[in-house]
Amino acid sequence: MKWQRKDILAIEDMSVEEIRHILHTAKVMKEILMRPIKKLPTLKGKSVVNLFYEASTRTRTSFEMAAKVLGADTTSIAVAQSSVSKGESLYDTAKTIQAMRADVVILRHPSSGSAKFLADILDPAVINAGDGQHAHPTQALLDIFTMQENLGKLEGKNVVIVGDVLHSRVARSNAWCLQKMGVNVTFAGPPTLVPVEMEGLGVKITHDLDSALPGADIVMALRLQLERQKSGLFPSLREYSHLYGLTTERLKKTGKQSIVLHPGPMNRGVEISDDVANSVDALIERQVTNGVAIRMALIYLLIGGSSNVVA
Amino acid sequence: MWWLKDVWVIDPSQKISASRDVLVKGGQVLEISSSLTEKEVLEKAQGESLETINGKGKFLFPGLIDVHTHLREPGQEDKEDILSGSRAAVRGGFTTIMAMANTQPPIDNRALIEFVCRQGERAGYAHVLPIGTVTKGMLGSELVEMADMKEGGAVAFSDDGKNIQNSEVMRLALEYAKLTGFPIISHCEDKDLAGEGLMRRGVASGRMGLRGIPASAESVIVARDLILAEETGGKLHLAHISTTESVELIRKAKARGVDVTAEVNPHHLIFCDEEIGITDTALKVNPPLGSRGDREALIEGLRDGTIDMIATDHAPHTQAEKARPFAEAPFGIASLETALSAVWQYLVLPGRLSLDRVIEAWSDTPAQRFGLPGGSLKPGTLADMVLFDPDFSEVIESAKLVSKARNTPFLEKTMQGFPVMVWVEGRLVQRDRTVI
Repeated sequence: MKWQRKDILAIEDMSVEEIRHILHTAKVMKEILMRPIKKLPTLKGKSVVNLFYEASTRTRTSFEMAAKVLGADTTSIAVAQSSVSKGESLYDTAKTIQAMRADVVILRHPSSGSAKFLADILDPAVINAGDGQHAHPTQALLDIFTMQENLGKLEGKNVVIVGDVLHSRVARSNAWCLQKMGVNVTFAGPPTLVPVEMEGLGVKITHDLDSALPGADIVMALRLQLERQKSGLFPSLREYSHLYGLTTERLKKTGKQSIVLHPGPMNRGVEISDDVANSVDALIERQVTNGVAIRMALIYLLIGGSSNVVA
Repeated sequence: MWWLKDVWVIDPSQKISASRDVLVKGGQVLEISSSLTEKEVLEKAQGESLETINGKGKFLFPGLIDVHTHLREPGQEDKEDILSGSRAAVRGGFTTIMAMANTQPPIDNRALIEFVCRQGERAGYAHVLPIGTVTKGMLGSELVEMADMKEGGAVAFSDDGKNIQNSEVMRLALEYAKLTGFPIISHCEDKDLAGEGLMRRGVASGRMGLRGIPASAESVIVARDLILAEETGGKLHLAHISTTESVELIRKAKARGVDVTAEVNPHHLIFCDEEIGITDTALKVNPPLGSRGDREALIEGLRDGTIDMIATDHAPHTQAEKARPFAEAPFGIASLETALSAVWQYLVLPGRLSLDRVIEAWSDTPAQRFGLPGGSLKPGTLADMVLFDPDFSEVIESAKLVSKARNTPFLEKTMQGFPVMVWVEGRLVQRDRTVI
């Protein structure tokens, strides 16, 4: 297909064809990434700016690595050291970056919708690396890429996403991405974190994890923000872990050799028991590698479209 | 002298909705007749110069009274000031506006009340009537000097912008305000339920990951205030009602005889939460836009009289403040210049509300409730009037707006139905959409 999109903001407005094209491109990128000499001249002379308003190690590094493998120059703007902390607005910061002739701006920001806000005012491509509680499209794409590697065709498969769905951009993006690929999605968690309005995403919701597990091909645990307890959203880690923690025992209820995913970093002993965490370590490492491949694919599609590395 | 010929007069205070001739002389309405001959009119002019306006196809009604505007002066004159706000008012068809008290500093004493009155007079457009705060510094604990502020020109009391969280303070305010005969205007919003919310809690907020404000954040305080008004026998006016449950609570309270009135903002009658896009800060408003069902309940409430009046809640902000990600932009819609046209286009034209009801809810009723001049075209009253042309269409453009603010969801949109002449005390202040 011919790539037309200027920005990657959310999975919600993407077509199935586009998602397949990204996954296909990422497959090629992964091969390149696995080579001993992983450096391409494709994006030589292009510049990629990481604009991160929230702390992030793995996502920021992953984007940086992806851009470098493709030959682009990268700059990272960490908020604490820049004029952002002096109160410069996102609008003004963005205009400054544009004036420095960036080709791609990768944004992570605590406000939902900030990526679209940026894309509407900037000429360069914008990739959303997480905007508030809204979307984290590259995470969803790398998750689904990993699932495909393990399960092959995903259509008709069942995925249960467990935890703090209300505050999770990962859960929202995954729900859109998986459903577009024909996967059945269930959100599980306490009513305070999985409120009824989340049905608006088209998913099934339940507050009883055990009843959702039978038949699940994939179980994804979300990171529980421990400070939510102070806001009264759940009474204790003990009770949360009792009701929604993924344990080896509980996972037997799927009746299958299910895959467990976690966007990381994990709270061991809270949303995931130590033994389950240890058993999925290999897969998590694979997710990290796939993350670089997905981000290579996206940067390439957005600004390297005329070259023929994929062909 | 003005002679408005063959104009459709809507004056709910006299139960007129018919084609009439209207004469205005010496700042007052002189006469409303079925028809007048030129000879009769010239006799009445007694040599005074006469301007004749052919009113065919247009409406004449009392200048609108807006009981809820934020004029930002003193303290936030970058957003709006009393001069720009009162110019915006007459451009939009409002001849009297009540100025909310949440300025910086808040209007919590007589000196500040008199300052607002004075600035309104200096501006010389719409009548600007100040609302005082309920509590000192709008801090929600000690009552202001209500009697003294009434002497200075206050017309009501409100901590609008902030709910009075302490129920005992609200009860005392309803009691003490009896000394003035004025209503307490309540901004109903439970602070904890609203939390850090950005829009109404529902499917749309869940989908976009924008923190939600449950409908109950308003309704539980509406219930509280109705109970307190009933218990004290105090006078209560509920600002910007936005939920189905609130409408139902008010309907029941009125049936019990509680002394309550309520207002609704045009945007809550026109938009709903599903229409908000993730970067549409022009639709970020408090209380937040509700569901489709809420919108229906509000229209129904306005039709059956449960909701007494329409008010803009004109909330001007700078462009820089609204050009931010949704969570960081301030709440509010600047609407004095577009509100009447929006109500005409989205509610009257499709037959959801009659123009007669709209005019009643935006002139006569507010005048009665707050004891204000205007709101009527009875002979002998001040000629605060609007000539409305239902066919006049205009693109809402930044260059044409006279308010300092541009935070309207109608920016760049073509709207139809506008006030084309506005008089304040018989003096023409707006003609053909230009403020004079």
